[in-house]
Amino acid sequence: MSNNTILKVALTGNPNSGKTTLFNAITGRIEHVGNWAGVTVDKKEGEIKKNLNNTNVDITAVDLPGAYSMSPFTSEESITSDFVNNENPDVIINIVDATNLSRSLFFTTQLLELSIPVVVALNKSDLTKKKKTDVDVNGLSKLLGCPVVETVSTKIGDNGLKKLIATAVEVKGNTQSAPFYALDVNLKDKKSVEASDIKRYEFVKEMVSNIEKRTIDSSSQTKQDAMDRIIAHKWLGIPIFAAVMWMVFSLSQTHIGPFLADTFVAGIDSFYAWVEGLLAEGTSPVLSAILLDGIIGGVGAVVGFLPLIMVLFFLLALLEDCGYMARVAVVMDRFFKKVGLSGKSIIPMVIGTGCAIPGIMATRTIKNERQRRTTTMLTPFMPCGAKLPVIALFAGVFFNNAAWVGTSMYFAGIAIIIGGALLVVRITGEKNERSYFIMELPEYKIPSIKRATISMLSRGKAFIIKAGTIILLSNAVVQMMQTFNWQFEVVGEGAADTSILASIASPFAVLLIPLGFGAWQLAAAAITGFIAKENVVGTLAVVYGITNFIDAEEFALVGEGATVASAMGLTSVAALSYLMFNLFTPPCFAAIGAMNAEMEDKKWLWSAIAFQLGMGYSVAFITYQVGTFITTGALATGFVPGLIAVAVMVGFVTYLVKKGDRIAEQKLALNRG
Amino acid sequence: MTDIIVLLIIATIVVAAISKIVIEKKKGARCVGCPTSPSSPKSKSVKATSNSDCGCDMK
Repeated sequence: MSNNTILKVALTGNPNSGKTTLFNAITGRIEHVGNWAGVTVDKKEGEIKKNLNNTNVDITAVDLPGAYSMSPFTSEESITSDFVNNENPDVIINIVDATNLSRSLFFTTQLLELSIPVVVALNKSDLTKKKKTDVDVNGLSKLLGCPVVETVSTKIGDNGLKKLIATAVEVKGNTQSAPFYALDVNLKDKKSVEASDIKRYEFVKEMVSNIEKRTIDSSSQTKQDAMDRIIAHKWLGIPIFAAVMWMVFSLSQTHIGPFLADTFVAGIDSFYAWVEGLLAEGTSPVLSAILLDGIIGGVGAVVGFLPLIMVLFFLLALLEDCGYMARVAVVMDRFFKKVGLSGKSIIPMVIGTGCAIPGIMATRTIKNERQRRTTTMLTPFMPCGAKLPVIALFAGVFFNNAAWVGTSMYFAGIAIIIGGALLVVRITGEKNERSYFIMELPEYKIPSIKRATISMLSRGKAFIIKAGTIILLSNAVVQMMQTFNWQFEVVGEGAADTSILASIASPFAVLLIPLGFGAWQLAAAAITGFIAKENVVGTLAVVYGITNFIDAEEFALVGEGATVASAMGLTSVAALSYLMFNLFTPPCFAAIGAMNAEMEDKKWLWSAIAFQLGMGYSVAFITYQVGTFITTGALATGFVPGLIAVAVMVGFVTYLVKKGDRIAEQKLALNRG
Repeated sequence: MTDIIVLLIIATIVVAAISKIVIEKKKGARCVGCPTSPSSPKSKSVKATSNSDCGCDMK
C-alpha cells in the first residue's frame, strides 16, 4: 500500500486533439482511439506509468470526451464540463492540437478561468514542423499564463510526456491568472453568451497571430484537399467506398484470412481428435457429445473464424487511422440529411461495425433526441464483429468465399438504415425538420501498424473470451437440449425431432417457412443468435454435428461447402435469406440493453425491436421469394402467408406514416401562423 | 470412473465460464469480453441534454 499523495489529473481538449492517444501513452491502457472526432463518449481513468512519473506522487489520469467549450452542447461534452466543475481535479492537462491553435485555445482560455492549475500539452507538434509552421511555445506560455509542453503522443522516446507529467505535478496548488475573463455574461441569455464568445474568439485570434508563423497559407490548396475532392466526392465517394470495402472483405475472407485460418483450424482439429481419442472407450455417449460436439466442436466452429475476423479488424483499424472513415461520414452525410438523420449518425454506425454496443453508446454525440434515438435503433443494422462469422460461414458454404457477400451485407445495412430513418422521420412527424452537420476532417496520415495491431489483438482477445464463456455455455445447453426429450430420456438415433430443442424451435420454424428456412435446426440457431450472434455458427455446428467449418486439408474456408450446404438443406437463395434474417433482426440481448439505456423510453425501445424484427423478416422474405422466382421461374413455398404477414406490417407502418404526416402538416401550419 | 472424470471436466469448464461472466458483469461490462464495452456503470450518470430549438446539431 502506497502512502504517496495522489494527484488527479483531468485530460481535456477538443475532439480529435489526441486525448485518448495521450491517455493510452501515459497510462499504458489500450482504449479505443480513432482519427476523427467523437470516439470517446465516456470518461476513463488510469494510473500514470511509473517510467513517466519520476515524482513520489501517485497520479490518476482521467480521459474525458472532447469538448469545444465549457458550455455543454451534447451529453458527452457535459461529462467533461461536469467533471471539471464538480469533481475537483488537482490539475487539468489541456491537450491542444498544435495544427489548429485558433480553435483549440478558445477552450483553453475557458479552462484557465476555473482556478484549477492548467498545463497545456501542445500535441501533434511534429505535424506543425511538417507544415512549416512555427509556434513560439514560450510566447504562448507567457500569453496564457500557464506552462506549455510540446508533445507527440504517438512517438516512442522523446515525446515530451515525461516533462508533461513532471510539470503537472509542479503546478499542483499554483494560482494561475486567466488571460481572458468573460465578465457580466448571463448564461441564460443566448445573445449575451454569443457576444462573449465573439470577444473570446477575437482575443484568441490575436494571441495566435502573435505566436504562430505559417509558411504555407492555410487557404491554399494542398494535396489533402486534392485527395478529398475525389475520395469525399458526392458521387465518386460511393463507388470508392464500395471498392474499399470489397477489398477489405476480399483480403480478410478470401485470401489472407483463410490462409491463416488453415493452421489455426488444424490445431483445433488436432485437439478435438486428441480428446476424442481419450474418450474413445467406456465413456457415456451423452457426456462425450456434450464435451466433444457441444463444447469443443461448438466453440471450435466459432473460434475457427478468428483469423478472418482479426484480419478484417486490422484492415478496418488502418482505414480509420488513416482518416478514410471520416471521409465516408462526409459522403454519407448527404443521404443521411435527406432522411432526417444527423451526419453524426454515421460515426456510431462505423463504430458499430466492431461491436453494436459502443456504437449505440456513441449516439450520445447527437444532440437532437429524435435523431439520437433513431440512430440508436438503426446502428445495429450495421454488421458487427459478432455477425462476421455468420457472414463468413455462409459466404464460404454457399458462395465460394465471394467477397461480394460481405460487402453487399454492409451496403444492405446502409440501405436499410436510410430506409428506416426515412420511415421514422415520417412517423414522428418531423419530415420538415432539417439537420446541419459540420464535421472536422482529420488529415490523412500513414496509418499506425502498431495501433491497428493493438486494436486487432484486443478484439481477438474479446472474441476468444466471448467464445469461452457465452458461446461455450450456449453450445453446451443446446447440445443437452438436443440430446434429451422432455422426459429427460436420451433421444434415439433419427428421433432428433422429439428433443427439447426441436420442440421449442419448431413453432418458430413454421413462421420461417415463407423465408426459405423452415427447419427447426435453423430456427434454433437464429434464436440462440439473440444471446450472441456468433451462436448462430456454434448452434449450427452442434445441431448438424459439424466440428468446424474450415477445412484445413483443402486449404480453404469450408472446403466441403457442398456437404455442409446439403446438411442444412438450403438453396443459395434461402441461405442468403437466412443470412439477412440473422443480420437484420434485433441484435443480441446485450445490445438491446444498451439501446434501452440510451433511448430512455420504453415505447421507443419496443418500437425499435418490433421494427428490427419486421425489417429482418421482410428483407428475408423479399430476398427468398424474389430470388427463387428469378432462379426457378416460380414462387417459393409459403409465399401467400408470408405476403400476408409482410402486408400487415407494411399497412401498419403506412398508417403510422400518414398519421405522422398529419402531425408534420399541423406543425408547419403552426410555424407559418 | 471415466464418466465421473468427464463430468468433472465439463462442470469445471462450465463453472469457469459462468464465473468469468459474473466477474465481467460485476465490473459493469455490458458485453462479456468486448474491448470497447463500457466498463464503468458510473458513466451513465450524465445523460443527454435537451433538444436544440431548431432541431439541428450544428457545431
